[in-house]
Amino acid sequence: MSPAVGPAVGTVLAISRVELIRMLRERSNLFFVFVLPLLLVVFIGLQFGGTAGTPVGVVGDGAATDELVELLDEQGGVNVTRVDDADELEDLVSRGNLGGGVVVGEGYGAALAAAEPFTIGFVARPDSASMSLRTVVEAAVAEHAAASQAARHVADVTGLEASTLVDLADDVRGEVATVTVTAAEVGGDALAEEFAGLGQFDLGASGQLFLFVFLTSLAGSAALIQTRQYGVAARMMSTPAPTPVVLAGLAGGRLAVALFQALYIIVVTTVGFDVDWGDPLATGVLVLLFCVVAAAAGMLLGSVARNDAQASGAGVGIALVAAALGGSMMPLEFFPEGMRQIALLTPHGWANTAMAEIVRRDGGVADVAVELGVLAAIAVVLTALATVTLRRAIVR
Amino acid sequence: MDAVLQCTGLRRAFGELKAVDDVSFEVGAGETYGLLGPNGAGKTTAISMVAGLLATDGGEILVAGEVMTPRASAAKRHVGLVPQELAIYPDLTARENLDFFARLYGMDKGGRANRIDRVLEVIGLADRAGDRAGEYSGGMKRRLNIGIGLLHEPRLLILDEPTVGVDPQSRNSILASVEDLATDGISVLYTTHYMEEAERLCDRIGVIDRGRLVAEGTRRELVSRIGEQDVVRMKVVGDASAAAAACESVEGVGSSDAEGDEVVCLMDAAAGRLPALLAAVGTSGASVAGVQVREPDLEDVFLHLTGNALRD
Repeated sequence: MSPAVGPAVGTVLAISRVELIRMLRERSNLFFVFVLPLLLVVFIGLQFGGTAGTPVGVVGDGAATDELVELLDEQGGVNVTRVDDADELEDLVSRGNLGGGVVVGEGYGAALAAAEPFTIGFVARPDSASMSLRTVVEAAVAEHAAASQAARHVADVTGLEASTLVDLADDVRGEVATVTVTAAEVGGDALAEEFAGLGQFDLGASGQLFLFVFLTSLAGSAALIQTRQYGVAARMMSTPAPTPVVLAGLAGGRLAVALFQALYIIVVTTVGFDVDWGDPLATGVLVLLFCVVAAAAGMLLGSVARNDAQASGAGVGIALVAAALGGSMMPLEFFPEGMRQIALLTPHGWANTAMAEIVRRDGGVADVAVELGVLAAIAVVLTALATVTLRRAIVR
Repeated sequence: MDAVLQCTGLRRAFGELKAVDDVSFEVGAGETYGLLGPNGAGKTTAISMVAGLLATDGGEILVAGEVMTPRASAAKRHVGLVPQELAIYPDLTARENLDFFARLYGMDKGGRANRIDRVLEVIGLADRAGDRAGEYSGGMKRRLNIGIGLLHEPRLLILDEPTVGVDPQSRNSILASVEDLATDGISVLYTTHYMEEAERLCDRIGVIDRGRLVAEGTRRELVSRIGEQDVVRMKVVGDASAAAAACESVEGVGSSDAEGDEVVCLMDAAAGRLPALLAAVGTSGASVAGVQVREPDLEDVFLHLTGNALRD
C-alpha cells in the first residue's frame, strides 16, 4: 500500500465506522432494523409459505403410540410433535402453535393386541383446516388399527381367540392385496410449481431483505444530513483529508449500514428460520450490488433533502412504494403482467427477479447476469449523482 | 516577526457582495491575533479561507510557510479550527469524538490515545470522557469543540467567536483556556465582536468592517488613533444639538456630537475642563442631568474609524 493510500483508507474506514456506530445507537433503529424485518419474514412465511406441513401434537407413550406417530408422519402435510400431557396440548392448540392434537390414552397397545375397542382423542380449533386435519388423523389411526379390527371381526364370526388372530393379521398384513388411489392433477398450477420446494420462510426473507436494506438506507440518510447540520462535515473539510476521501468515507458509511442490514437478515433467517439463500456467490454479488444501489440512493436523498425530518419521511415513503412495486411485499408472480413491467422500474424488481432464479431454480451468477448488470448500472448512475450532490452540499 | 500565518490581499465575493476585500495581516509565533468586527463584517469568511474551507478569489495565505487552499493537505496539518457553531457528534462520547478527528488527522494509534487523554485533561472532561456529548452542558460542549481543534497540536488555532451563546462561567473558562494556549506557544487567530474579549486576549487586533481591514495594531496603538483624548458623555435636558454645538467652542474639545438626548465629546484633559464644558451647555439654554468621563476603548475606536457602533 502506498504512503498516500494508507491514510486515505484509514480515513474512509474511520468515517464509515462512525456512521455505522451512530446508526446502531439510534434507539428507533433497534425495532426497525432488528425486530421488524424478522416479524415480516414470519408473517409472510405464514401467509405465503406452507410446504412444511401442519404441526400436530401427540400425547401418549408406548410402542403402539410410536407406530401411530410414524404413520401420521407418513401421511404427508403434517409435522408431528410429541407433547407431554393433554393440558399442554390443548393450550398449544388453542394458542395456534399447533394445528391440532391427538391424545392416545394408556392401554392403547393392549387394546390393539386384544382387538378391543379403544377411543383416541382429537383436539382442534373449530375451523375448516381442523376438519381436514381430522381426516388425516383418522386415516392414520384406521391404518394402524386395521389388523386389530380385522381380527375382532373374524373372532366374532368364528369364535377363535382374538389376540391370536391379531398376531396372524399382522403377519399377513403385507401380503393382503390393497387398493391404491392415485391422483392426477389437471389444469396445472404454475404458481404451485413456481413455489414448490421452498421452505416456509424462503419467500418472505429475500423480499424483506431488499425492502429493509432500502428502507434503512433511505431513512438513515437523515444521519448524513445531521453530519452536515452538526457542522462535522465542514470540520472534516478542514482536516488534511482530501475531499474525495471524505466523500468516500461518507459513502462508505451508507454502504456499511446497508450491508449490516443485509447480513443481519441473512444470518438470522439462515440460522433461525432455516432459509435457503441459494448459491452463495450469486446471492453475494446480488446483495452487494443492491446494497450499493441502496447506499447511493440514501446518499442522494441525504444530499438533496433540507433537513433530517424531511429525509426520514421521504425515505420511508420512497422505500415502501418501491418495495411494494418491486415485489418485496408480495411475490412478483402474483402481479398482473402490466405491474410486472412496472416492477422493473425499481431496483427491487430486478433484485427479486434475480433472487427467484437463484433460490427457486438453483440459478448461478450467469443465470442472473442481466439482472446484475442492470443493478450495476443503477448503482453507477446513482453513485455518480449522489457524489456530485453531496460534494455540492458540503464543499463551499 | 516569525509569522505562522501570512495573509496577503485576501479577496472573496459572493455575487455582488465583497465579503472580504483586500485583507492582509500576519500572526506571529505564539501571538494571539484578534479579528474584531460586527456581525457580517467578513470575519468568518476570512477565517474560512485561512482554514482552507473556502477558496479565495485572490490573494495568498501561507500557514507555516505552506500555501493554504481547500486542497492543501500539508497546510491544513498546521491548522486547528474551532468553528463558531458546535461541530461535534452529540451521539458519540467525548473520547469517540476526539478519536474520530484524530484519525482524520492521520494520527497513529499510540500517539492518538495519549494525545486524547492529554486533551481531555486540558479541556476538563477527563471524568466525563465516556458520556455522550449530547448529555453535556453547553459549556462542556464548547470545551470539547475547542479540544478537537487542539488535538493534533496545530501551529495555528483558529477560534471563531467561541463564546457566542455561552453562559458567563463557561465564557470565563474558555477565555482562560485561550490565555493558556498563548503561554504554550500556540498562535491563535481569534474572531469576536466582543470588545472586552479582544482587549483581554489579543496581542494585536485587526479591526474589520464591511470586508476591509480598517486598522490594525495593539490595543494601545489603536486607541492612540483617536489621540490621547477622553470621552465625555453628558445627558442633557433641552436641545442636545445646540448643546453639542456650544461645546465645540470649549478649549481642548476635538469633536462634539449629539446622540439622542446626550452630547458626546472627545477632548483633551477632560478632568480640568469639565466646568467650562458644563457652562457651555448652560449657554445653549440646556441643562446637564448627568456626566460620565472615561478613557476611550475599542468601541470608540471602531466608532471613530467606521462611524458605526461595534454591536450594530
